Amino acid sequence: MEQDQDMSAQEAASVMQDARARARKELVISAPVVYAAWGLVWLIGYGGMWLSVREQHPYRAPSGVSMAALFVLAAFAVAAVIAVVHRRTEGIGGQSARDRRFILATWATGYLILLVVQATISHSVGARAYAFLDFAGPLLLAGLVYVLAFVLGRHRSAFALGSWLIIVGASCAWLAPATILATCALAGGGAFLLIAVIETRLAAHAG
Amino acid sequence: MPAEDELDPVIHAPVRLRVLVTLATLRDGDDLSFTRLQELLGLTPGNLITHLRKLEDAGYVTTAKEGSGVTSRTSVSISQQGRKALDNYTAILRQLLDSASANGTSPH
Repeated sequence: MEQDQDMSAQEAASVMQDARARARKELVISAPVVYAAWGLVWLIGYGGMWLSVREQHPYRAPSGVSMAALFVLAAFAVAAVIAVVHRRTEGIGGQSARDRRFILATWATGYLILLVVQATISHSVGARAYAFLDFAGPLLLAGLVYVLAFVLGRHRSAFALGSWLIIVGASCAWLAPATILATCALAGGGAFLLIAVIETRLAAHAG
Repeated sequence: MPAEDELDPVIHAPVRLRVLVTLATLRDGDDLSFTRLQELLGLTPGNLITHLRKLEDAGYVTTAKEGSGVTSRTSVSISQQGRKALDNYTAILRQLLDSASANGTSPH
């Protein structure tokens, strides 16, 4: 059994530094990994769909291959995020666990509502309005969830990212379907990746 | 209660320092299961219990047990008093290191 030991101040500082680094590595969710995973989904997934519709005159719909690629990418991102969150939050209870459940429930409920609205109005609105709901709806929902995450006291960058995604998503209401896809891919996916880079640099700077 | 310029003897022990620093990484209102804390620190249950008891007696951590039998979960969290004590300990440690550095001596 380790007994109380006489430590010098330097040894104590070293113990603190090691313990802090280990705890951060093991207990804090890596926000850059989560942001990068979703950034790649938006950039590559939506970018692929945009490439499949940019020559369509008039616009019809993204190709089946590009939509399948988006679903596969999203499935990988979900699996990666679940793995990261589960590993880092194992054994942690209290307020954070309650916040995570609330955020997940909000996201799931919001997505369900989005799907119901899409199914309900699919035959009564034009291609442009449907494309807005179908493509920009998930981006708006993601923005709202990130703002909610910020309100609950999570990652410092969540408010900036969430606000930007809401602005980008809302601005898609005035765009043509192909342009919506390009906007979501570049301005949405690009924002996720940019925040991932900023968070990585801030974490490295903080030591 | 230690003097204002003395390192708190309750915290100034490797295991207890690691326990407090680890728990302080969590957000306010969060707790960590005993088994995860034990796994993170690489300690035996008996060793960890001994040190947690000293920290709990000083009011720096709180432990809670939920459920019973095989489904029971013991959780540990740092108290506000514990965070304050760790902040104070860190400040005094920094002063000691700074003054030793200025004097060119080894701090003890």
